[in-house]
Amino acid sequence: MSLMLRILCVSGSLVTLLFITSNIRRRKVQIEDSIFWVLLAVALLVVAVFPGIASVASQLLGFQAPSNFVFVVVIAILLAKLFSLSTEVSSLKHRLNELAQEEALLSQEEEENNSARQA
Amino acid sequence: MKILAIIPAYNEEECLEATVRNLEATCPTVDYLVVNDGSTDRTREICEQRGFRCVNLPINTGLSSGFQTGMKYAERHGYDAAVQFDADGQHLPQYIPVMAQAMEQNDAAVVVASRTLANEAPTGARGAGSKLISALIRITTGKRITDPTSGMRMYNAQLIREFAHGFDLTPEPDTLAMLARRGETIVEVPAHMEERQGGESYLNLPHIVRYMARTCLSILMFQWFRK
Repeated sequence: MSLMLRILCVSGSLVTLLFITSNIRRRKVQIEDSIFWVLLAVALLVVAVFPGIASVASQLLGFQAPSNFVFVVVIAILLAKLFSLSTEVSSLKHRLNELAQEEALLSQEEEENNSARQA
Repeated sequence: MKILAIIPAYNEEECLEATVRNLEATCPTVDYLVVNDGSTDRTREICEQRGFRCVNLPINTGLSSGFQTGMKYAERHGYDAAVQFDADGQHLPQYIPVMAQAMEQNDAAVVVASRTLANEAPTGARGAGSKLISALIRITTGKRITDPTSGMRMYNAQLIREFAHGFDLTPEPDTLAMLARRGETIVEVPAHMEERQGGESYLNLPHIVRYMARTCLSILMFQWFRK
């Protein structure tokens, strides 16, 4: 890993941590949902500070350069995260629809009861 | 047989009243429920002023969820069968008793009103899409459904329950394919349909592409794994 790439990783990681913190301050994201990003930023920081980790891993797994190894791992983690967001969106859609449906059915029932009482 | 016609309505102020009036006049023994899916036009006012039986979703949730609302109503009120019925006047109520009879005679889970059997197969791009879906169902399940994209379908009590509690059950051809593969009896009856009498069609290009992608993916890939 070149010095330049290490500097880039360290600063990227620090900027990410700052960005997350400011979003929590401004109530844009819940702490629970920030865990993933904090861990990712810290992992990046560790790899940048101790590039030996990436070197050893890339040799073991047959990567030509430690930087390639870091890229592949980051991309894989991000894809997994992206998919988990899709499942979360699906689940939210489902639950939102359920709520809307129950609300609609309840108020219909109430109206029916009211008009039955008046009649 | 207690039958509920579920009429999903999203911004259908133009023809909803005529559709419901026609249904009431033609099939006085069939109950109906308008599912107003968060319309932004006068759909809700029309239902309230005319005294139509109607549930109002607070937001627009889409056709599947609107239909599911109707299925929940059907389940809670003990209906034996529920039929999908378009608000735009395409579907003719006189076929509802015919479909109900076909359901009873064949002990069918689903009865589809088929334009193809009435020699009115959809033509052009719509016809091509319909033929493709029909072929996919044929190949994957061995069952022949001549008009899988017909929107007028009747479901029995067991399926009312399944739709009411489903996670991703659409009132669309891919569900027909899944049911056919499961060995459910699906019967078709010949039916004439009108052109839509008003309102806006969903048939724009992005919608068609998404619809076909979802339907083909569901039939070709996911139906083998769904629970």
